[in-house]
Formats: sequence, structure tokens, C-alpha cells
Amino acid sequence: MELVAVVLLVGLLAGYSVLAGCDIGLGMLSPYVARTPEERRRVVSAAAPYFLGSEVWLVAAVGVTAGLFPQIEGEVVAGQWPLFVLLLAGWLVRDAGLWLRGRVAAAAWHAVWDTAVVAGSWAVALAWGLVLAALLGGGALPLLFTPLCVAAVALLFLLRGAAFGAERLVPVAGRTGAESAEAAARATRVLARAGLVVLPVAAAAAWLDGGVRAGAPALAVAAAVTAVLAVTAGVSGPRWSRPTSAAAMASLPVLAAVGGQVSAAVADPRSLVLVAVATAPMVPVLAVGQVWLYRMVRRPAPESGFFA
Amino acid sequence: MFDDPLLWARLQFALTAGIHYTFVALTLGMAALILVSQFSAVLRGDAARLAAVRFWGGLYVVNYGMGVLSGLVMELQLALNWNGLNEVFGHVVSAPLAVETVAAFFAESTFLGLWIFGWDRMNRWLHLACFGVVTLTAYLSAFWVLVSNGFLKNPVGFEMRGGVAVLTDPVALVTNPSALLAFGHVATSTLLVGGLVTAGVSAYHLRRGSDPEGMFRRGVRRGVLAASVALLPTAAAGGAQYPLLFDPPASSGTTLDAAEIERIEAAGSGLVRVLAETGNAVMALVWTVFFLVLPLALLAWPLRGLDRWRWLQWLMPVLPVLALLAGVGGWVYRELNRQPWTVRHHLTTAQAVTELSPGLALLSFVLFTGVFVVLAGITGWLLVRFARRGPAGGPLAPAPPPDSGAAVPVHSY
Ligand code: HDD
Ligand code: HEM
Ligand code: HEM
Repeated sequence: MELVAVVLLVGLLAGYSVLAGCDIGLGMLSPYVARTPEERRRVVSAAAPYFLGSEVWLVAAVGVTAGLFPQIEGEVVAGQWPLFVLLLAGWLVRDAGLWLRGRVAAAAWHAVWDTAVVAGSWAVALAWGLVLAALLGGGALPLLFTPLCVAAVALLFLLRGAAFGAERLVPVAGRTGAESAEAAARATRVLARAGLVVLPVAAAAAWLDGGVRAGAPALAVAAAVTAVLAVTAGVSGPRWSRPTSAAAMASLPVLAAVGGQVSAAVADPRSLVLVAVATAPMVPVLAVGQVWLYRMVRRPAPESGFFA
Repeated sequence: MFDDPLLWARLQFALTAGIHYTFVALTLGMAALILVSQFSAVLRGDAARLAAVRFWGGLYVVNYGMGVLSGLVMELQLALNWNGLNEVFGHVVSAPLAVETVAAFFAESTFLGLWIFGWDRMNRWLHLACFGVVTLTAYLSAFWVLVSNGFLKNPVGFEMRGGVAVLTDPVALVTNPSALLAFGHVATSTLLVGGLVTAGVSAYHLRRGSDPEGMFRRGVRRGVLAASVALLPTAAAGGAQYPLLFDPPASSGTTLDAAEIERIEAAGSGLVRVLAETGNAVMALVWTVFFLVLPLALLAWPLRGLDRWRWLQWLMPVLPVLALLAGVGGWVYRELNRQPWTVRHHLTTAQAVTELSPGLALLSFVLFTGVFVVLAGITGWLLVRFARRGPAGGPLAPAPPPDSGAAVPVHSY
């Protein structure tokens, strides 16, 4: 029973990391890949359909944590109050930017909300880095390990965003404007190589700081991610970096689960039954909806979209 | 008094929940009306009616964004500021909220995305079905939230084991009269809201002589009809809650004994009672206004007064504002009635709050309430702006003809 709940939670968080990594990472990268108003518009129109489908994974994970792991919620969320406030603030600012950007056709309006998307995306990624560091450090933020962990997480988000951008910012046949996609494609190689350096150093720092109690599994995950990045560090472009960045992002919640010093006391069985019985009928609907949404937004968008 | 973290946490919850509910009421009410409109448009294959659905749907989606943003804060706020509640009643109160997020919101947001991006590239029946899922899950959301909220008022189906509440009877939790009646009252009163918004916006445009392809003539009728249908059930479901109001919950006495409960309740403040009764009075007053105006509007229908009588067209746009006010009033009444308890007869508000320093509590208040007010202000402004602008240029307005702008669609590799 306990295992089912843990797998559910890690699964939801992995889904969030992989899918939201795309739109959050692209948001972080957008000052680099999008220089003109038109390019910025396209960044938002690439990210917006994704965020509708991706952040629900986190909302669900928060709900499941609250419902099935009330202790974790008390310990981790209330214990790391400022980190979660930063996360929430970044999330809000970023979402507000995505929701509001397309509503008024004025350059200044776009500038405000584009800035919100960039700043919010960075805040979210950095906050996740801090949360991971705190989880691995058993509540405290280890002095040496924390900045490295934050940097590593930010790098993985960026890599995911670059891989996504390299694929989705390509213009339709016959149009010009491939600069954004090319910039993103070039970035994948640089970011993957940077990851090769930062990840092992971060792992070593974790060891030195004595932060990570479950050191062996944590190191194993870090080594696996490094190896995955090594595979694609030589090439640029979307093809290979899509799966490798996805694998790297998915490893973050796994790392938190194996290396985190959290007592995974699950709520009592009746609460589990209630949640299971009430959600089971919806699961096929959810699966169909998610697959359908992601398939649909792969095709070229019509000229006018809701978000941009 | 102002260095009391409890005060700030409560004030923060009250203001943010009130704002959240205002947008959610609009979502719930409009969803039902839009679903019916889209069904009728698709059934007839009528382009004019579909254009109207795009107009109302545009308002819906703008409003939905705020519902989500504010809902996220509500969720995190419960975790951050009400740790005491989570520690003792987390297993019980949070389970329905978990269901809400996984079963309702997950599907709602996904299918709303499909609906937004599927306008021009999906079979029209499938597209309608997407909005069907959105509507259904919006009500499911409301239901599960109210199961959680109903438990606070009438705690059932649990047992205290070692100072922690454990869910023993999920069926009792879900069939809690305090949740079911509230759901009935929320569902009917939000239909009232949706109907009056539709009628009010339509009447505004009719007054200004704008009625593209008859959409506002249809809108004012459909809105008046929906509101009239909801009028009496709203009062019935609301009135049915009065008997539950002051009965002690069945589980009373299992955590604290009668003397302790009495001592805690005796310390209640008079101001809270006055505020609560004000909320109650606002509901009753607003309902009475509707009770007087809606029959007049129904009478005006066969006389074609809905399209012509200026005074009625001036009056109609005010009504949705009153309806939203009544909704907030109702919540003020419900939540303040519970004071000084967070879980009646089991956990006081002072025990439920997280032990924050006054500085952090104030920071949290300023941060979140500030963000809420800004976002709500912007969303409200956008809603009014798009409502006044009419169907042309709305957020879901159809794509301009190809090659009219520099826009470049996103393409896959
Ligand atoms: C358009 C909004 C609206 C209108 C016109 C009314 N109400 Fe209401 N009322 C609500 C919107 C609302 C609400 C926001 O939906 C509440 C808050 C909690 C709930 O269950 O519904 C509520 C709560 C609420 C409660 C609180 C129950 C509790 O404390 O648990 C009572 C007793 C009533 N209502 C009774 C009425 C009566 C008798 C009305 C008509 C004469 C009425 N309401 C009109
Ligand atoms: C959106 C609808 C809601 C509104 C408008 C609302 C309104 C309020 C108000 C006005 C207060 C402040 C009372 C005070 O002065 O202490 C309050 C407190 C509170 N409400 Fe609600 N509420 C809503 C829904 C809920 C739900 C669904 C829950 C349950 C999960 C909930 C849980 C609480 C808690 C924990 C407090 C603080 C403790 C307390 O003051 O009793 N509320 N709410
Ligand atoms: C105070 C406790 C509340 C919390 C913690 C809360 C939580 C949330 C969250 C996280 C969201 C956004 C994502 C989602 O839909 O799950 C949301 C939206 C929503 N909430 Fe709440 N909520 C509260 C009160 C209420 C109440 C009292 C109602 C209705 C009676 C309600 C109905 C809805 C609906 C229908 C949505 C969908 C958003 C939209 O369609 O605009 N919520 N809520």
C-alpha cells in the first residue's frame, strides 16, 4: 500500500519534471533564443499549450502529498517555508505572464508579461534546486552543496528547454525565422557539457558536506544522469537531447525520494481507499486527455492563438 | 492585536478565499450556460451561434486563469499557514482535496487546453465533448472542496487515535449533509450568477444597439431563464442549511468534553457575530432583489421588453455584481459561524494555525493578498473590457485570414 502511494507521488513529480521542464526551461532561455517581438511571441505560443497540461501534474502531486502524506507536508512544506513561498511566487508570476500576455496588443504590455515569464521560470527552477538541496540535506541547506545543487537543477531545466525549443521553434516550410530554433539547438550541446562538469562536482560536494544520508543511491542517480548527458554532449540539436533531458529531469524526483530524509509515513488506509476509489474512474479520461493534448499541439498552430 | 500571527493568517485566508470564490462562482455558472449554447450551436450547425460561444467562451477562459492562479495559492496556503489543522486532521481534510486535484482539476485543465486549441482542428462533437468534461469537472472540483469544507463544520466519519484524526468512514465523509447541502446551494447560486452575467452583458449590448446576428437577444433570454430557474432552489438549498447551523456535530465530545467546549465558545468575540450576520443579511437582501426583478424580466419577455425597455437594460448589468456579493456574504456567514473553531468542537482556530513569527505572518499576508488583489484587479478589468467589446476581437475570436500578419505558426520538426 505504502509503496503504491510513493510510486504514485514520484510518478506525478516525474511527469511534472519532464513535461514542465520543457516550458519552464524554454521560459528561462527565452532572453537568449528570442530577440525580436515575433520570436518572443512564438516562444510563448510554443510554451503555453504545454503549461496547461504540465503544471496539473504538480497540482496533483501537491494534492497527493497533502492527502496521502500529511507528515511530509507538515515537515517539508512548513519546514521550508521560505523556499516554498519562492516557488509559489515564481509559479504565480510565470503563470500570470502566460495567461495575460496575449490579452492586450501593446508592446509595453507584452514586455511586462514576457519579463514575468522569464523571471518566474527562473524563480521556479531555482526554488526546485533549493528544495532538492534541503531534502537531501535533511532540512538544512548544506553550505557547499546547495549552490552546486541549484546550479545543476537549473542546468537540467535549461537543457530540457533548449531541446524543446530546438524542436518547436522551427518555422513551417517556406517561412523564415529559424534563428531561435538554431540558438536553442546550439545551447543543448553547451548545456549538456556544462552538466558533465557540474553534476559530478555537486555529487562530490554532497559527500564532503555529509549532507546526503542515503549517499550511495543518490550518487548512483547522479552518476546515471551524468552518463546519460555524456551520450549527447557531443551533438547539438533536438533529436537526442529530447530523451536525454527527459531522463535527466525524471531522475530529480527519484533522487529526492531515495536520498531525501523524509519519513514516508502514508496516511491511514481508509484515506488511501477514498482517494483511489474516487480517482480511478477518472484515470482513463486523464490519460486520453493528456495524450490527445500533446499530440494536438505538435501540429502547426493556427495563426491566432489564445495565449500569443 | 496586530502582532498576532493568527489574525493575519485568518485575514489572509478570508480575503484570498473570498476572491477565489468570486472567480470560481463565475466559472461554475458560465460553464453550464456555455455548454448548453455550444450544444445548441453544434446541433444546428449554426455559425452565428458558434460565434456567440466563442464570445462567452473567451470570457470563461480569461476568468478560468484567475481561478487556477488563486486556487494554487489556496492550496499552498492551507499547507503553509494551517499546519496545526494538517497535523491533526490532515488525513481527513486533505483526502478530498487530493481527489479534487487528481480527479477534477487535472482533467479540467487538460480538456480546457484541448477546447482552446481545438477550435479549428477538431470534430465539432468531440470539441463539444471536451467542454462537457470541463463543465463536469468544474462541478466535481466544487463538490470535493465542499466535502473538505463541510467536514470542518460538521466533522463525521473519523476517530481520534493518539491525537490524530483517522478516517474511519469515507462514505459518511462524502455524504455529510453539511457538504451536500452546501454543494446544492453553491451549484444553484452559481447558476444564478451565470445566468445574470449572461443576461447583464447581453442587456448592456442591446441597450447600445449592438446585437450581431441576434446573439445578445438570445443571451438575455437564456440568462433570464437560467437565473429564474435557479432562484427558488437557491433559497431552498440555503434555507435547508439553517437547521444544521447550531446543532452540535454528532462527534461532539470525542476530543474535548462539554465543559471545555462551552468554555472555548464563551470566549467568542462579538464583532465576529456582527460580521457573520451581515453576510447573512446580504444574501437575503440580494435574493429578495432578484425575487422582485426576475419575474418582471420574465413578464417583459413576451412583451419584447427585454429588447426595448431601457430601464430594464440599465438594471440588468448591476445584478451579477449583487450576485457575486451575495456569494461572498454567504461564505463570510458560513466561515465566521464556525468561529472559534476550525473543526467544530475538536480544534480551535488558534490550534490550527502554523506557529509563525508575527513578521513572517505579516510578510505572507502582504505578499499573497497583494498578489491576489493585483491579479484580481487585472482579470476583472480584462473581463469587463472583453465583455464590453463584444464578439469581435475576443480572446477566442477566430483566426484572421492566412497571411494577414507576420505571425508564424509553430511547427514540429
Ligand atoms: C448568489 C449567491 C447567493 C444567494 C442569492 C443566497 N446565497 Fe446563501 N450562500 C451562498 C450564496 C448565496 C454561498 C456562497 O454559496 C454559500 C456559502 C457556503 C455555502 O454553502 O453557500 C451560502 C451560504 C448560506 C448559508 C450558510 C450555511 C452554513 O453556515 O453552513 C445559509 C444558511 C444560506 N446561505 C441561506 C441562504 C438563503 C436562505 C438565501 C435566500 C433567501 C440565500 N442563502 C441566498
Ligand atoms: C472559497 C470559499 C471559501 C471562503 C470564501 C472562505 C472564507 C473564509 C473566511 C471568511 C475565513 C475567516 C474566518 C475567520 O475570521 O477566521 C476562513 C477561514 C478558514 N477557512 Fe474558509 N472559506 C472558503 C472555503 C474553505 C474551504 C473549502 C476550506 C477547507 C479546506 C476552508 C478552510 C478554512 C480555514 C482552515 C480557515 C482558517 C481557520 C478559521 O478561521 O476557522 N475554507 N474562510
Ligand atoms: C479554501 C479552500 C480551497 C482550496 C484549497 C481550493 C483549491 C483550488 C485549487 C488548487 C484550484 C486550481 C486548480 C484546481 O482546480 O484544483 C482551484 C480552482 C477551483 N476551485 Fe477552489 N479551492 C478552495 C475553495 C473553493 C470553493 C469553496 C469552491 C466552490 C464552491 C471551489 C471551486 C473551484 C473550482 C470550480 C475551480 C476550478 C477553477 C476554475 O474553474 O476557475 N474552490 N481551487
